[in-house]
Order: sequence, then structure tokens, then C-alpha cells
Amino acid sequence: MARLLQIFGFLSVLFRGGTLSFESLTIGGIVFLNFVACSRNPQSEVINQACLRWIRRAALALAVTQLAYILASTLILMQSASMTLADVSGANFVLAGVLAIASALTIAALAGAGSSKGYPVMLVPALLILLSSVMTSHAMARLEYRFPLAVVTALHQGATATWLGGLFYLLIAIPRSPESRFTRQLIARFSKLALLSVAVLAAAGFTLGFAYVGSLDAIYGTSYGIMVATKTVLFGTLLLLGALNFQIARSPSGGAVIASLKRFGEAEIGIGITVILTAASLTSLPPAVDLRTDRVSTQEIVARLAPQPPRLASPSIQDLPEDIYAAEVIAFDAGTLSSASFVPGQAGTRPNTPAEKSWSEYNHHWAGLIVLSIGLLAFLAQTKHFPRARNWPLLFLGLSVFLFFRSDPETWPLGPNGFWVTLQDPEVLLHRIFALLVIALAVFEWRVQTGRVATERARLIFPALVAGASALLLAHSHSLGNIKEEVLAELSHAPLAVLGVLAGWSRWLELRLPAENKVRDSMAWLWPSCLLLIGLLLLNYREM
Amino acid sequence: MRPIHRVVLVVCLFAVVAMFLAHSAMAHAILLESSPSINSIVAGPNIPIRLRFNVRIDATRSRLTLVKPDASTQSLAITKDGPLDALASQAQGLPPGEYRIRWQVLASDGHITRGEIPFQVTQP
Repeated sequence: MARLLQIFGFLSVLFRGGTLSFESLTIGGIVFLNFVACSRNPQSEVINQACLRWIRRAALALAVTQLAYILASTLILMQSASMTLADVSGANFVLAGVLAIASALTIAALAGAGSSKGYPVMLVPALLILLSSVMTSHAMARLEYRFPLAVVTALHQGATATWLGGLFYLLIAIPRSPESRFTRQLIARFSKLALLSVAVLAAAGFTLGFAYVGSLDAIYGTSYGIMVATKTVLFGTLLLLGALNFQIARSPSGGAVIASLKRFGEAEIGIGITVILTAASLTSLPPAVDLRTDRVSTQEIVARLAPQPPRLASPSIQDLPEDIYAAEVIAFDAGTLSSASFVPGQAGTRPNTPAEKSWSEYNHHWAGLIVLSIGLLAFLAQTKHFPRARNWPLLFLGLSVFLFFRSDPETWPLGPNGFWVTLQDPEVLLHRIFALLVIALAVFEWRVQTGRVATERARLIFPALVAGASALLLAHSHSLGNIKEEVLAELSHAPLAVLGVLAGWSRWLELRLPAENKVRDSMAWLWPSCLLLIGLLLLNYREM
Repeated sequence: MRPIHRVVLVVCLFAVVAMFLAHSAMAHAILLESSPSINSIVAGPNIPIRLRFNVRIDATRSRLTLVKPDASTQSLAITKDGPLDALASQAQGLPPGEYRIRWQVLASDGHITRGEIPFQVTQP
């Protein structure tokens, strides 16, 4: 139980992210089935059956993640608040979860039956899933405007599911379409639905932003505001891709047109999942309107972001606390941070010492130099005039070694904690896995760049990992209070994350778009440019 | 795609997603103000307690615990029919010393948060 308490924060977000993603896939699939693939044409039966299979899978996955979330939260409450199962069972989150599970299982059963008469019936449990999700949203806990905010939240989530979830089913339907005329009908119907969804999504998002952020200074002055701004930028990227798709859908038919549509759709789904995960992590933050004190000012931001020479000399390891994680726990137990609100299992946040800040800046600046070099070489390689520049992925090996030595100075090989002991600390273990992943990334992409791997799927590993790892940064730090240092750190990390997502998906599109599509050429230059900018931003990263 | 490549891809993506989520925590009930306030000095022996949060609280599933100077703990009964965003209680007969109120709340949206309020009790 103590172990469960320790990882509760991690589990909660894991389940929330899963729930939102599977909810979008389930609801999006049902809407697609009813309003896009609604043809009675017997040839469309193949499409319907494929959609039903995926709706069933998504609904079952939704039921499993909801059940896991209820179980984890129930166990935590029973253990930490000495409650009985009967006490917990009446809680709002349990009722919402049971509603979602029952609805998801109903959808799975209806989808399994496969009868077309069941398609409209599935809309009812889909609406109930939406209702259950709203029951555990920010809106339900607000003191004012609770009902209107709940309605707007439902519209926001429903529109997201219709657009991004539906797009997933469009990509399933296109290759199974019996003829090109039918394909174009599908695309045209989905385009109209997507346009409507985007309009509702934007209007609802603006309303929620106004209600939860409230003012301009809260956008840059609080963690919540920064995350909302990041989500808005990613939404803008999605809109751009959607506009490209819309333009293609209206152009004369052809194989390249359909191929382009599918490739843009893949990127849209990928960025869309990033936005959904960002939304999941947003629910971990108190709305900006509730944090009125200690916001970061423009003067503080300017002072922090003003360009300065990089720190290329490291502080001595003896200047660092012996065990950073133990120091955090001691600080919390001592009560120095006892005013902070925190989630069970979350360690107390301790202000870093100047030596720790210097250590971190040194790490970021050298990593920045390596990434800047990678970007420059990748740029040169794209010109085709410098064949040796294609070896740029090998520089990731240097980054891996650097991370291995520097990320956890209190552990082996630099610190006193032995190798096996380090593997018991989840955070250190994750850093070690990350270092190994970077090695895998380097080897894979080097083989791709130098022509040693020809399969297309292997070439997609690099962009997928870059986009995924960049999404990691969006949830890197979440202070429940308004801890200025954490807000400033997020202000630095958010642009890095957005650039990383852009780099990953632009490389993906370069590889996947047909040669006839001119956007492909722009994408070929966009991702090295993003890497260059990431390197420059890392070089100016500061913690003091 | 060779099976080994597929395995590597799946493992890599899973690890990235896991790391993306690892640093997050899901909750947003935060303490806005309290009586006694943090690090305050109050006159004993009877102390009225009131904690106000930024959101609606499920009071029946929330807990208040008093940590005494000798580190022993005492569960505090939460007053019923209080405001939707607050927890109220009363600590009786406290001798002078350093105390802490440990709180755990379940917000209406199903998220759990905790915290502590250190304060000092003096002679009346």
C-alpha cells in the first residue's frame, strides 16, 4: 500500500491520459460511424466492420483504465483516510467511473453485435461517457458558474473527440473504400463535421480559458496559463494541418491527393494526442484564476530570458547536497514546505541550492551545444553538398554519455550511491532508460541517414521518438502552488516542447508525404531549423 | 518491419509515454487560507480551525489530523453543514507548544490533495 501511495500521482495521470485518449477514440468512432460512414451501400460494410472493431477495442480499453483509476483512488482513500469501501463508494469520482465503465461495456457489446441498427443506439452511451468525464472535470468543482462551465466542457471534449477521434477512423476507412468516388464522399462529409467541431472546440476553449485563466498576466505568470498557451499553439498547428487537408480535399482527385490526406491526418492525430495529454496534465494544475499571489512578472521573465554567455564550467560535485532526493524528503518532513498543497506520493519541492542551479545550467548548455551541432549538420546534410554531415545522429551518442554521467550526480558513477541502489529509485531508473533510448535513437537514425536501413517504418522511429520525448517536457513540472522558479522553468521548457513536437512531425511528413506534394520540401527544412532553435534555447536556459 | 524493430519501437514509445506522465500529478484543490494561519502563534487552549480551498470539497471524505508536540496524532471531527469550499473543526485543551494540522481533501472532481499547517500555541 505504501508503494501504491508513492506512485499514486504517476498512476493518476497515466489513467487520466488513457481515459481521455480512449474516450476520444470511442466517441469519435461512434460519431464517424453514424454521420460520416452512414452509407447503406453494401460495399461500405467493410469500412463499418473495421470501425466497429476499433470502437470495441477503444471502449474496452476505456473501461479498463477507468476501473484501474477507481481502484487506485479507492485504495488510497481507504488507506489514508481510514474509510470503508462503503464510505468511498458514494464519492463522485466512483459514480462517474462506474457510469463510464457501464457505458463503455455497452458500446463494446453493441459494436461486437455488429448490427447496423445498433449504430444510432451507441450515441446514448457515448453521451453518458462524455457526462462521466465532465463529472470529474474542473467545472464540477467550481464554486461559481458550475453548470454553464460543465456544458462548455462537454462541448469542448465532444468536439475534440469528433475531430481527432473521427480522423483516426477516416484513416481506417480510406484504404478500405471500394471506389474513389466513395472515398471523396467520405472525406467531404468528414470535412464538414471537422469544420463544425473545430469551431465549437475553439469557442468552448476560449470560454474555458477566459473562466480559468482570467487575465493576460495569468497566461505568462502561472503554470496553468503557460500550459494553456502551449495547448493553444499546438491547436494552431493542428488548424494549419487541418487547413492543408481541407484544401487537398477540395482539389481534383488522385492517388497523391489521398496519400497526402492520410499523411497529414497521421500528423494531426499525433499532435492531437499530444494536445489531449497536455489537457490531462492541465487537470493536475489549479486554475490560474485561483492563484492571485506570487505570479511571475514580465520584468522577472525578461531578466531570466535575456541572453547571457553559456556556463561551460561545472561546479564541483562536492558543492551539491549528498542525496538530492533524500534532501527533498527531509525538507518536507522538517515542515519547511508544509504549507504546500500536494498529491499523495509527491515529494516536497525544495528550493535548489546555487550549486545545483549551476550544475543544471551547465548540463543544459552543453546539451544545447550538442543539439545545435546536430541541427547544423542535419541542415548541411539536407543540402546534399556535404555527404559526411549525414553522420549527425552519432552526436546523440555524446548526448547519451553526457546524460548518463550528469543527470544524477549523487549516484554511480559520480556519486556515492552504488549502481544497483540507483535502479531502485524510479526517477534515476527513468534517466538511465532515457540514456539507453538516446543510444538506440542514435544508432537507428544513423543507419537510416547512411542508407543502412531501407524500411520505411524503421525511418519513422526517429520522428516518433522526438515528438514523444518533446511531449514529455509539457508535463515536466507541476507545482500546485505558484512557485515562481517552477513557473519560470516551465516558461523555458514549453517552447522547447513545441519545437520538438514540430521537429518530430515535420520529419515524419518529409518521410511520408508523396514526392508530388510541395509541402514535403518545406518540411525537409523545418525539422533541422527546429533542432537549431532548440539548441539555441538550451544554450540560454537559466535557473537564476 | 522486422519483429525486433517492432519490439524496439513499441518499447521506446511506451517508455517515452511513461516518462511523459511520470512527473505529473492530478489534483488541484489548494489551500487558499487557514485559521490558524501557517506559522502563526495563537493563544490556547481552545483553537477554532478553518481551512478554505479554491474548489468544492467532499467534506465527508476529507480528513483533519492534529499533530501534537510529542508527534502523537489526534483526528479532528469536521463540522457538518459548513461552506462548500471549507473544512472547519475545533481543537480543545491544547497546552502550549508546536503543532501541525495535517489535512487531506477529496475535491468534488475526485482528486485528492494533502498539506500541513504548522502553528504555535501559547498561554491564553
